[in-house]
Amino acid sequence: MTRCKINKVLVEEGAYGHALTDRIISRLPGIPFQPLKNDEPGTGKETLHLLSYKGEFLKSCPGTREYICCGYQILNVGTNCPLDCSYCILQSYFNQPNLRVFVNLEEEIERVLEIIDGQPERIFRVGTGEFTDSLAIDPITGFSDMLIPIFSRRKNAVLELKTKTGQIERVLNSKSRDRIIVSWSLNSPYIAAHEEHRAASLKKRLEAAGQCQSEGFILGFHFDPLIPHPHWEDEYLKTLELMDKYVDPKGIIWISLGSFRFMPELKPIIRKRHPQTCVLNGEFIVGLDGKMRYFKPIRIDLYAFMRENLEKWHPNLGLYLCMESDDVWQNSLGWSPKNTLGLRRYLDNRVVEIFK
Amino acid sequence: MDIQKITEVSPHLVDLENIDDCPGPYCMSFGFDLKSLVRSIKSIGLINYPLVIESRNAMLTVITGYRRILALKSLGREKIPCRIISKSQLSPLECLLLNLHDNLATRKLNEVEKGMVLSRLTRWTPKTKILEKYMQLLGLPSHDPTLHFYIRLEEEMEKEIKEYLVQGRLSLQSAKMLLDMEQDARHQIFNLISNLKFNINQQKQLIDYLNDLIHINNKSTSQLLKEGPLQAIFSGGQLNNPQKVKAVLHFLRTKRFPSVVSAERTFRKRISRLDLPEGSRIAAPPFFEAPNYRLEVIFKDGKELKEKIEHLSAERRLEDLGDPWKDPA
Repeated sequence: MTRCKINKVLVEEGAYGHALTDRIISRLPGIPFQPLKNDEPGTGKETLHLLSYKGEFLKSCPGTREYICCGYQILNVGTNCPLDCSYCILQSYFNQPNLRVFVNLEEEIERVLEIIDGQPERIFRVGTGEFTDSLAIDPITGFSDMLIPIFSRRKNAVLELKTKTGQIERVLNSKSRDRIIVSWSLNSPYIAAHEEHRAASLKKRLEAAGQCQSEGFILGFHFDPLIPHPHWEDEYLKTLELMDKYVDPKGIIWISLGSFRFMPELKPIIRKRHPQTCVLNGEFIVGLDGKMRYFKPIRIDLYAFMRENLEKWHPNLGLYLCMESDDVWQNSLGWSPKNTLGLRRYLDNRVVEIFK
Repeated sequence: MDIQKITEVSPHLVDLENIDDCPGPYCMSFGFDLKSLVRSIKSIGLINYPLVIESRNAMLTVITGYRRILALKSLGREKIPCRIISKSQLSPLECLLLNLHDNLATRKLNEVEKGMVLSRLTRWTPKTKILEKYMQLLGLPSHDPTLHFYIRLEEEMEKEIKEYLVQGRLSLQSAKMLLDMEQDARHQIFNLISNLKFNINQQKQLIDYLNDLIHINNKSTSQLLKEGPLQAIFSGGQLNNPQKVKAVLHFLRTKRFPSVVSAERTFRKRISRLDLPEGSRIAAPPFFEAPNYRLEVIFKDGKELKEKIEHLSAERRLEDLGDPWKDPA
């Protein structure tokens, strides 16, 4: 299931008067909306919570210095997600599971653009898919209508819309293509079916990717989190076969690889919310950043396998590792950017190369 | 009745047999030792009179002074002075709050008692108010999952495990982990912990390993604990309890983390084959996660250091040293 079901809209006091609030409510005819009270019961993934966000809209990816980070910028448009992936780190990040949408984005985007335009020599790789799915509630928020033309006009930025859905209607309706990357999180068919609850099937995701590509969009893919499970090699190969069926590798800007990692506090939450999950079955150790991650040789095997098979498909896919150390890069991909600055340069060069 | 005027109520002598000696709906005492209170009453008598409220069947329910009443009963007293409130004078919530404030003013509540307070409050108070006001009073974060845990601790946890917890022999974290398990599994693991006397850190490891292995192998706790090697450890007459605990944890860790344990073993084996000078040690980073290994050399002067360095550089097998999952160079 990919259609987002909303059965209630809660409106915080500061959210009234924003044009986006009115538009969202008008796109949900028949759905009750009410002011948010402190003791509001029954909030959850089917409750849309509209608020005016007081924090910074553009934030650096919360990488840690112990591992090599890609230097991504997060455009914070909301938090939480209607999908219910068992491994999702958002389960421990936020107290409330309701879908929070920041309705003052339209007013605040100017400040974000000031930051971007103020540093023309720097390339901003910006994404909205860190604390939510970029497109899952796009039919309701219409964020893509606003963001795509704005980012398309900038020469020192790209906007990446990352999703596990097939909700591409509004993206396709946009007239702009330049500087926009539509990305999909992928996994093995087994993990997609058993752990990525409410997400679109892999086939639907890749069909949507193919459609976006045929309509002129550049694509990105993220195999994150890679999860070893029974017959994982064969399972991930099935995903690669599907990619080959629906997507032309030449139109891919990058493919990231990351293995499952989590703060220790997430474990009991996953056990409780997803008792049948297999994502906690691996051999996890405490990483240098305090997060649980797979024992190093297991990660190296995962990445090396993916690299070998992805490069058989196409040699220039912009493969990179998410939050890994220099020696894991060397031992799995055969090279290393050495540090965060090196990885930033590599990805910035991909941007320059693809969006000439 | 004005709750502030409760102290103005005159005491009356009451037959102890007319006072219900269950904690009832207002008292929140668990895991206490009466000895010091008994000694005190024996020496100087009862200073503060218990507060009781009329209830059904002409019995009196304790609002405050539950421990004092038990102490007096154990001293064989038949009548004691109490302040008696009629049912119409105080609401159940007021009675509960009287007890809560009476306790908070004089002592720190243990974790089970906090659960008792919160569980009782939920009957008469909205959750938001409990989160905002009473969690803070109890020194707890105003956090819904924390509230939920304390209520479950009171309502679902077995008495023997609660006692172990308030005695400080079980950590709150382990109690949380046990509470999230099936009742049968919880019983078996707790029995193992209390019989072999796992310490706080070992308890957490044990529960964590077993919980993971139950899920990974799709086996019940009893099936896991019946496995031959564990049974051999349990019945091993030559091992004392600390040795059994170590052996149990080693067996479970090997089962849960085969690659990690195998790498550690290989590393140790490779190190043991090296001819290292006396007072030298090579250590791997925790879980082999950081890229660098560490050499430690103990020496008394520069001459000895030089000798040891020469000794080390003559050891050709050092070149084979590296990540244990890789073949030696």
